[in-house]
Amino acid sequence: MKIVIAGAGNVGIHLAKLLAGENQDITLIDESPEKLARLDSSFDLLTIQESPVSLHGLKEAGAGNADLFVAVTTDESRNIISAQLAHYLGAKKTVARINNYEYLQPKNMEYFNSIGLDSLIYPELLAAKDIVDGMKLSWIRQWWEFAGGALVMMGIKLRDNAQILDKPLAELGKELPYHIVAILREGVTIIPSGSDTMQAGDLVYFMTMKKHIPHIRRIAGKEELPDVRDVIIMGGSRIAVRTAQLMPDYMNLKIIESDMERCDKLTELVDDKVMIINGDGRDPSLLMSEGIQHTEAFVALTDNSETNILACLAAKRFGVTKTIAEVENIDYINMAEKLDIGTVINKKKIAASHIYQMMLDADVTNVKCLTFANADVAEFNVKEGAKITRSQVKDISLPRGVTIGGLIRNKEALIVTGTTQIQAGDHVVVFCLEGMIKSIEKYFN
Amino acid sequence: MINVRIIHRILGVLLLIESGILLLCALIPVFYSEDDLFGFIMGALTSACVGMTALYIGKSTKHKEGAMTRRDGYIVVAISWVLFSIFGSLPYYISGYIPSFTDAFFETMSGFTTTGATIIQDVEVIPHGLLFWRSLTQWIGGLGIVFFTVAVLPIFGVGEVQLFAAEAIGPTRYKLHPRISVSGRWIISIYLLITVLCAVSLRLCGMGVFDSVNHALTTAATGGFSTKNASIAYFGSHAVEYVITFFMFMSGINYGLLFFVIFRFQIRKLIEDTQFKWYLLLLFIFTAIVAISLFISTSYDASASVRNALFHVTAIITTTGFTSTDYTLWPPFIWMILGLCFYFGACAGSTTGGMKTIRIAVLFKSMRNEFNRILHPNAILPVRINGKVIPTSTRQSVLTFSIFFFALVFVGWFFYLAIGIDIAEAYGISLSCLSNIGLTIGDHGCNIPWSDMPAIGKWFSTFLMLVGRLEVFSVLLIITPSFWKHN
Repeated sequence: MKIVIAGAGNVGIHLAKLLAGENQDITLIDESPEKLARLDSSFDLLTIQESPVSLHGLKEAGAGNADLFVAVTTDESRNIISAQLAHYLGAKKTVARINNYEYLQPKNMEYFNSIGLDSLIYPELLAAKDIVDGMKLSWIRQWWEFAGGALVMMGIKLRDNAQILDKPLAELGKELPYHIVAILREGVTIIPSGSDTMQAGDLVYFMTMKKHIPHIRRIAGKEELPDVRDVIIMGGSRIAVRTAQLMPDYMNLKIIESDMERCDKLTELVDDKVMIINGDGRDPSLLMSEGIQHTEAFVALTDNSETNILACLAAKRFGVTKTIAEVENIDYINMAEKLDIGTVINKKKIAASHIYQMMLDADVTNVKCLTFANADVAEFNVKEGAKITRSQVKDISLPRGVTIGGLIRNKEALIVTGTTQIQAGDHVVVFCLEGMIKSIEKYFN
Repeated sequence: MINVRIIHRILGVLLLIESGILLLCALIPVFYSEDDLFGFIMGALTSACVGMTALYIGKSTKHKEGAMTRRDGYIVVAISWVLFSIFGSLPYYISGYIPSFTDAFFETMSGFTTTGATIIQDVEVIPHGLLFWRSLTQWIGGLGIVFFTVAVLPIFGVGEVQLFAAEAIGPTRYKLHPRISVSGRWIISIYLLITVLCAVSLRLCGMGVFDSVNHALTTAATGGFSTKNASIAYFGSHAVEYVITFFMFMSGINYGLLFFVIFRFQIRKLIEDTQFKWYLLLLFIFTAIVAISLFISTSYDASASVRNALFHVTAIITTTGFTSTDYTLWPPFIWMILGLCFYFGACAGSTTGGMKTIRIAVLFKSMRNEFNRILHPNAILPVRINGKVIPTSTRQSVLTFSIFFFALVFVGWFFYLAIGIDIAEAYGISLSCLSNIGLTIGDHGCNIPWSDMPAIGKWFSTFLMLVGRLEVFSVLLIITPSFWKHN
């Protein structure tokens, strides 16, 4: 598959690395030689030093016969023009990164398709959605919905008070309302089998249905945690603005921003429910006077990953139950997890996984790239005569590091256990270690 | 420096227009065969002569030609209001129905500024022509003299933006159309529509044709001149009171918003407007207070309490100043509440006077922010109107405007006290002139006893009316020394 990526910014580079590992033909086009130099020498891809909005440059990069063209420079209008030009040259599918909420509205999609843009992505909005989801269910670290919400997967950090510790999974009982799809222990992702146990300190990924959430909360020992009502966001970034707009009405939000000009700008972007405070979000006395002790969630969204991590740690000392940090430096993500930051937001990963799903051959409608676990979640529609339908799940020799979490059959959600028989037409949710999606596609087609 | 040629030319044209309007009014005495015809003819001739002279000066090459500046706009607006009042007073003066020039000028200025305070002891003996002219002055002044003439007759081709800016009502503007003269014509159409509907409704309620037209003109202008001594009380009809209440209310809405409702069917735009919501809120709160107080403390039954409260609160908040009864006979608490309403005014961008609802909203929100600031010293607390943050400069100018407004109320109050007027009444007169209402409070009735006032008091009142109508700064600006300095 030939993929052209325009813009060697954070998202572009992350995506290029991700795809280069998948044995795809990647061409990266950017004007800046410095940005390209580092990539060229260490990854298996082609770099072209040209402007992403020049026809000449795009031709040289081979946009004309690309299967996928991804425009992810920092400038939205350049992305749109670049994608349009690539479409004009003959690219099969184009994706452009945007910064404008209006463009995403479904009624405008037809227009964008007509000018040669097949898909738009808005990383800040995706990140804001993750943050709001994280606050709605503050005891859950990560939360995904599959098949329109029929199945949910959640990552929960287990403490000493959880009821399901130290028992092999096989002994927890039959017909459980959940399926444990992954365990993250000390930075290592385990796709568990029946003999594995859960231990205090593990981040455990449960696959379940929405009606069973209270049950999971009880067995995970999370019942006494309060719901999030008061939220403080440090750093008035674009994600902060989007979060403010997506937040449900019952939450009260304060945004702390140190730059006065940005504060003034923020007042124009958010509405009356949000209070903008000028100051340093790391200053304990400021946090005290703004009532950090009575705040349930603290979100750190400054440009600086270290600051975000430290501020979240400080907030934890004040007794904030839910902390969310934006960590753009991928190397820090594991560290942030070790330091017990509730949820880590990484715009690059979110954007890249979103684009990643677009280029998978199979009928995959939703691939999520997990931030903590080095793992992917994918949805497949099972084809007639696929390998997986031949016998019960436990008798099919799926590769190590793959597990089927749940499925949707005739619009009913089911949790998959060893004895489940998968049928053609089922919509299954598969959990696997990073980069394995390609190798498991064959089981479902 | 100021552009003498353009100013003369514009003023000349304006005076010729006034002369034309006076000539049209002269048809009424012809129709009714009354003796005020001579006054109109003479007024029109004088106005035309002075206008021609001004045009002649404007044409001469003695002064340099140049583009019109903001400065010129302010001068033209302020002078044109005074000139219009001077020449507009000639029919009263020459026909002898108002024998003193001071009184005639006062009556005209009270008309053009839509104040509606009248010097005439017995309105009912005044001939039809003069009564119509009196109502028409309010109708012309309702949207602004210059606005009216420029929007109806786009004759200058230059300086419309500067002129409109100098005469505009309220701190913000709704642009309906990229070209200001086109917006002007839309607004005039709405104005005309309200007036015609009001006249027809009043006629249907049993009012005579002449009275309907006159009351419609002064209602749409939120002016308050009546053709009867007892104002609306003369008609003794609840239907008339409700119709007038409704049209006063309509005239108090921002005409830009009415445009979207009437011509673009975008009712949401009106309902979601911050200023409109505050307008409704103020009307509701004060109507409720007055109605409940009336019900408790007077012999009115429930429906009479509500009707009287609604009528008077609307008449005062829209700064129309009609009365259907003498409210100063009610307990002092109630007329002091009405006295508080003297400040507000209706929506900016309508024909109203007073401080304007939008400024009240901004003031209130700023005050609330000050309390919040004590609790959250580092918070950035913006003031939002229609969901948009208003710039600090606008907020400051609203605060400054309010301080000036209050200061002028006090200056006026002390002035009237000094010339021997009762304390409550002096407050009422000062505020009501500045807000262009034309009523007062106190123990001597709701109408201002102008006949007892010395000439200086009347001249001072005309000054307050003009300052209030042109929103304080436009008039005060041209009496500051820096305005006349080069650059």
